[in-house]
Amino acid sequence: MPAKSSYTDSLKDHLRLERTIESDVVRELNTHLEDKSHELIESGLSEEEASITAANLLGPPRIVARQMYEVYSQGSWRQALFAALPHLLIAALFSLHFWKDTIWLLGIVIAVACAVIYGWCHGKPAWLFPWLGYCLTPVIVIGILLIYLPGNWTWFAAIAYIPLALLVVVPITKKTIRKDWIFASLMLLPIPIVIGWMLALELDNTLIWYEHLQGFASQIALSFAVLALTAATFIRVRQRWAKVGTILTLEILVLVIVALGNKSAIGFGGWLLLVLLSLMLVLGPALLERKIKASDQKQLKLHNKSAR
Amino acid sequence: MYYKRELLKGSTDSLLLCLINNQPMYGYKIIKEIEKRSNGYFQFKEGTLYPALHRLEKAGLLQGRWQRLPSGQERRYYYITAKGQKAMVERLATWQDFSTAVALIMQPATG
Repeated sequence: MPAKSSYTDSLKDHLRLERTIESDVVRELNTHLEDKSHELIESGLSEEEASITAANLLGPPRIVARQMYEVYSQGSWRQALFAALPHLLIAALFSLHFWKDTIWLLGIVIAVACAVIYGWCHGKPAWLFPWLGYCLTPVIVIGILLIYLPGNWTWFAAIAYIPLALLVVVPITKKTIRKDWIFASLMLLPIPIVIGWMLALELDNTLIWYEHLQGFASQIALSFAVLALTAATFIRVRQRWAKVGTILTLEILVLVIVALGNKSAIGFGGWLLLVLLSLMLVLGPALLERKIKASDQKQLKLHNKSAR
Repeated sequence: MYYKRELLKGSTDSLLLCLINNQPMYGYKIIKEIEKRSNGYFQFKEGTLYPALHRLEKAGLLQGRWQRLPSGQERRYYYITAKGQKAMVERLATWQDFSTAVALIMQPATG
């Protein structure tokens, strides 16, 4: 029954649920199509007509998939809190002026490592991705710090560091996009903010950056508190468009906070670049997902051909 | 038509809970049963039934289980849970109060 299999394929393309739930849903709708086709064949339709009619009666797979997504996409309040927690920890780090406290810093590193390992080994739930973002952030931060190396050292270090950094960032981002691109957007959320604050603090000037850090601590804390709100809202809203809207709106709000923190250091041009970077990191995964899916399908076809 | 659709939308969960409370069923059978029992008045859009069933399952009111039919095929049967039964009793009472009140207002005034 080609209509049945094309319906199922299309449904699989649009469903973005956990693997076990997804296979259950597809199997269940398959049995429905079987029953309906059987009924239609008994009423006098040919097998092909029955299959097409059954698929049409079930409704467009895109809409069925969207409704199913909305059933499962809402996390509990506990999950929302857990997703917001890494941002809240960073916000507390700055609001309580704990960034010099080694125990506090070590505590955050251990918490991030434990949460990421636990989440990664337990089906990669939605709350994992904000934590995972903080595993990638140090890679970006070190990359930016290389800019401040003296003389030609920046170039030497960049040549060595960039491939290494990509070796870490690309596979993790790719794996996340394979699950759902929207999680990659959630994961990459802190990166423009961290870059923004690093630029605002003028790290190249050792005399003033620490002073700036003291002065901006409350604004830095506020920006991470807004990120926490973003993560929690993302978990609680059902609709996909609302999740993307939440990320975009609140991310730009955070960038406004960063810009207000130090107008002179970033400037309007720098702020616009940060907004562009944010848009790229939030929406880029959607484009990458298409490319990854297309290349996966190509590989599958090649594999099937060689198997024959 | 719009009014009827909205009424059905508001009562879908209660109808499903009542039906499954009488007998565990799978999706296709539920559609047929609702059509039969309502003499064709309720005709579910097939694609909307499954999200409704999964929503009730996620809320803990129903539980889905794969079961083998005598023909050897497997179907996902839905069972009502204790929480589902409690919710159904509450909804039924509310519905009965509502329908009595509507009937009282709709009937021609006497005296």
